[in-house]
Amino acid sequence: MIVTARPKRTKSFQYVVLFGYLVFLGFPLLWMLSMSFKGPRELVELYPSFIPEDFTFENYRTALTEDDHQLVRNGINSLKVAVVTALLTTMIGLPAAYVLARRRGVITRLGLGWILISQMFPLILIIIPLFLLLRDLKLTNSHIGLVLVYVVWALPFILFMLYTYVRAIPPDLEEAATVDGATRFQILIGIIAPLLLPGIVVTTLFAFITAWNEFFFALVILESPDLTTLPLRLAQYVGIEGVVRFGPLAAAALLATVPSLLLFVFIQRWLTGGLLSGAVKG
Amino acid sequence: MRKVIVLGTLALLCTVLVAGAQAGKQATVVKLKFATYVWQPTTVAANKSIVESWNKAHPGIQVEIVPVDVNSVHDKLLTSFVGGTAADVIHDEAADIAGFTQQGYLANLTPLIPKTLKQSIPKDLWATTNFGGKITGVPSLLQTYNIFANMEILKSAGIKAPTLAKPWTWAQFRANAKKLTTSNRYGVCWGLRSPVAVVQTMSLNYGGQFFYLKNGKWTFEFGAKDQNVIKQMHDMIHVDKSVDPAATGLSGSAVLPAFFGGKCAMTVAGNFTAQSMILQGPRGFNWAMFPLLKGQTQQQVANPQTYSISEQSKNKQSAMFFLAYLVNKQNLAKLALGDWLIPANPEAGKLARKSTKRAGSWKIATESVVHFRKGNWVSLAAYPRWKAEVAQPAFVQYLRGSSSLQELEKSLDDGWNRVRG
Amino acid sequence: MSTVPEVRLPRRGRSRAGSGLSGREAMLLLIPALLPVVILSVLPLVRGIYLGFTDSRAGLGVPTNFIGLDNFRALLEDDLFVNSFKIGLIWSVSVTAIGFVFALGLALLLTQNLRGRWLARSLALVPWAMPAVVVGIMWKLVFQPQAGILNETLRRGQLPGETTDWLSSFSWALPAVILVGVWAGMPQTTVALLAGLQSIQDELHEAAAVDGASTWQRFRTITLPQLRPVIIAITTLDFIWNFNSFGLVYVLTEGGPAGKTQLPMLFAYSQAFEYGEFGYASALGSAMVVVIAVVLVFYLWGRLKETT
Repeated sequence: MIVTARPKRTKSFQYVVLFGYLVFLGFPLLWMLSMSFKGPRELVELYPSFIPEDFTFENYRTALTEDDHQLVRNGINSLKVAVVTALLTTMIGLPAAYVLARRRGVITRLGLGWILISQMFPLILIIIPLFLLLRDLKLTNSHIGLVLVYVVWALPFILFMLYTYVRAIPPDLEEAATVDGATRFQILIGIIAPLLLPGIVVTTLFAFITAWNEFFFALVILESPDLTTLPLRLAQYVGIEGVVRFGPLAAAALLATVPSLLLFVFIQRWLTGGLLSGAVKG
Repeated sequence: MRKVIVLGTLALLCTVLVAGAQAGKQATVVKLKFATYVWQPTTVAANKSIVESWNKAHPGIQVEIVPVDVNSVHDKLLTSFVGGTAADVIHDEAADIAGFTQQGYLANLTPLIPKTLKQSIPKDLWATTNFGGKITGVPSLLQTYNIFANMEILKSAGIKAPTLAKPWTWAQFRANAKKLTTSNRYGVCWGLRSPVAVVQTMSLNYGGQFFYLKNGKWTFEFGAKDQNVIKQMHDMIHVDKSVDPAATGLSGSAVLPAFFGGKCAMTVAGNFTAQSMILQGPRGFNWAMFPLLKGQTQQQVANPQTYSISEQSKNKQSAMFFLAYLVNKQNLAKLALGDWLIPANPEAGKLARKSTKRAGSWKIATESVVHFRKGNWVSLAAYPRWKAEVAQPAFVQYLRGSSSLQELEKSLDDGWNRVRG
Repeated sequence: MSTVPEVRLPRRGRSRAGSGLSGREAMLLLIPALLPVVILSVLPLVRGIYLGFTDSRAGLGVPTNFIGLDNFRALLEDDLFVNSFKIGLIWSVSVTAIGFVFALGLALLLTQNLRGRWLARSLALVPWAMPAVVVGIMWKLVFQPQAGILNETLRRGQLPGETTDWLSSFSWALPAVILVGVWAGMPQTTVALLAGLQSIQDELHEAAAVDGASTWQRFRTITLPQLRPVIIAITTLDFIWNFNSFGLVYVLTEGGPAGKTQLPMLFAYSQAFEYGEFGYASALGSAMVVVIAVVLVFYLWGRLKETT
């Protein structure tokens, strides 16, 4: 009896805790969802209710259509920048990670040292010189400039993730290929990349989200509204002296979260298993 | 054969391009960038239509809008100045351009301003953007701080609204706030999250300037006339207990739910809050915006939005040409209606009043123009730093009751001596 | 070990046995990553550090002079700076520590066979999918004292605190932003710990269970020691990221009320972009690196001593 009773009690305890986590993690989201369906009057009601009383899609309509569909256009900009960043980062990160994983020496130590150190530097140290540099290269107020910055910004962590994945692959496989006369590039594409596919997907996703969410660089680098990315657009719903257009903001914020969420859904199974597991084992 | 065709086409294309470029040079279209932080959808639209109509009428001077996020105006402008990418026409506010003027980024407009423009705006407003004889900004829109009242509550308490001819004095305001405070209601909800602007603006009711020129040096003083307003606010919170202490940490707009919900009878906020009253207030909500409070006078500090021209601009003359169009009375009225702000040009104010149904609050707002005066702090380059690093925390602490008036004075004074450098 | 590679012994003693990657090949593969990093990261960084030793400030035609350590001396006398670093340390240590405990709990739960686990797993990842601006604004909506859902819930539950204005209270603002920091940091920490937990072999647990070890004993003697490398890595990274963070608190409180949540990065940002003191702000940035380095040395040294 006692033996069976104990796990049962543990189980219910676990459920209580799990419920606590669900509330903590989901509560703010639900609240924003609820606000996105409320009309302007209900949004400032003194005793708010979770379920909107006069349910409306107006906020979504406003968010999507106002200023010539500015939100949609900014979303396309974000998508462009994030996709290019993600692909580029992985493309240049993989060969480099391969070298770091397969070679011991000064380069590797320098590379790994840089990855660690680069995390320690606050943005403030780099943003002013970086801006001046981009200006000299005529890359301010352009997506190319922004993508380059994002690639460099996301690279250390991406490199580290890929590095640990490559290290988990036994070198024997490549050796056989080398004997067969395959070039290094062929090995990378033909052997390493397929083996790393889950890792590469996760890393690419990571780079995508980093770029998709980034605010600060975009704020400093971009200026024309045709180039603006989503986070900048979202910030524009907050006006002076705390006047916030809550309804459209909540709607737009939820819409801005959708693409990353969709990506999560698609690669769920790789994500939980694959993400950082290489890093951990390494 | 094919090669020849390709080469021929390329050659032709090059000729056309070169010719086109030369033709473009002959016409010399001046391109102006116009950085603006308008953010309310109505104003954004008004701004856009003004620029579009300008571009249509002036093919030789084409203006492109560069929107600036209203929450990072200064940062964004500074970056663009330092990077040499600044727009030609720059939208900012008087208290902010002092620093940029000192840093040399803004052009001296004095010789450029057309006479008609100069005459259309009162002298007291020009004074806010005049730095030692150099005018670096054209004042456009302003705000006042007003009392908003829930008229149902006031009526049932038998309190009558003040009129333009007979505005409330601070003493009346305090007495009525007290009268309107009951066990489940406060007389006033006052969002004092950023109290510096409202305190310093209204202190002019008693002539409080805070900064005075002594022997060629701007010194900080905290005498009776400077202390009066903040002390009364403090006493309303802590002595009269007629101001909801729980709401003092909020922004002016975040107290609105309580005001709409009848948890307080009045609130003090920028005149533009009238817009929120209409858009967000409960249906049929009976509210009123009161005329400016009176101390010794009804004066409030003018800190107008401004339009400036970048010193780095290569087309200052054309920029001024456009700027004068931007703030002509019709356009200024449009912008004012969008933001619910008071136009610096009284004629534009009249136009705005004519073209709106909400005449009541607009009448009170536009009649306030005569009470605007220059506040010395508006044109001190070190002021923004003092405001953010010194006054903001010190005022908040005093208003929350966690420091005394003497402590407040000391930290404000010490802070100014440090910041002034 | 396979015997085939014996034929092609590595030409260099230092390269990893069997990989046979020549120096030229390595360079070719590295260059695409190296070039942008050097141009857009290393060079600006070096210049940024150098700026800290100059009086660089905004102004048209204002010359920049080398002033040695003057900025750093000024920093030590700047109360606002000292204060912001104290707050920065409280913030980053708390967010890292609390976030770690929360994430570990969640990760442990997620390895159990519970219904609704998928939901928790997805929700734990959501903060990652949101821009910091959105996270900040969303929590601001939750914390609103009068129309916010937190106080409304407290009111309906007749719990204390229903009138508290969390984000502008002197005593609650910092804890409130720390809570948001924990929420926003859940994904990476949870995922890292989850991956670490999954890599611990089940056999170890089963063997221990057969030996009659209790859940707590197994957790202490098997799980924790096995997880140690992951824990050290993720807490270190979290600490660095938190100390350098900016966006979230900027949106929530802008450093207020009365500077109670003024993180170092917020302070540095205003020095540079509000007052145009680029030299001073850069010196601040370098000081932040030093503080992080010092804390990490102590932390990692302490953990190392534990293991040996």
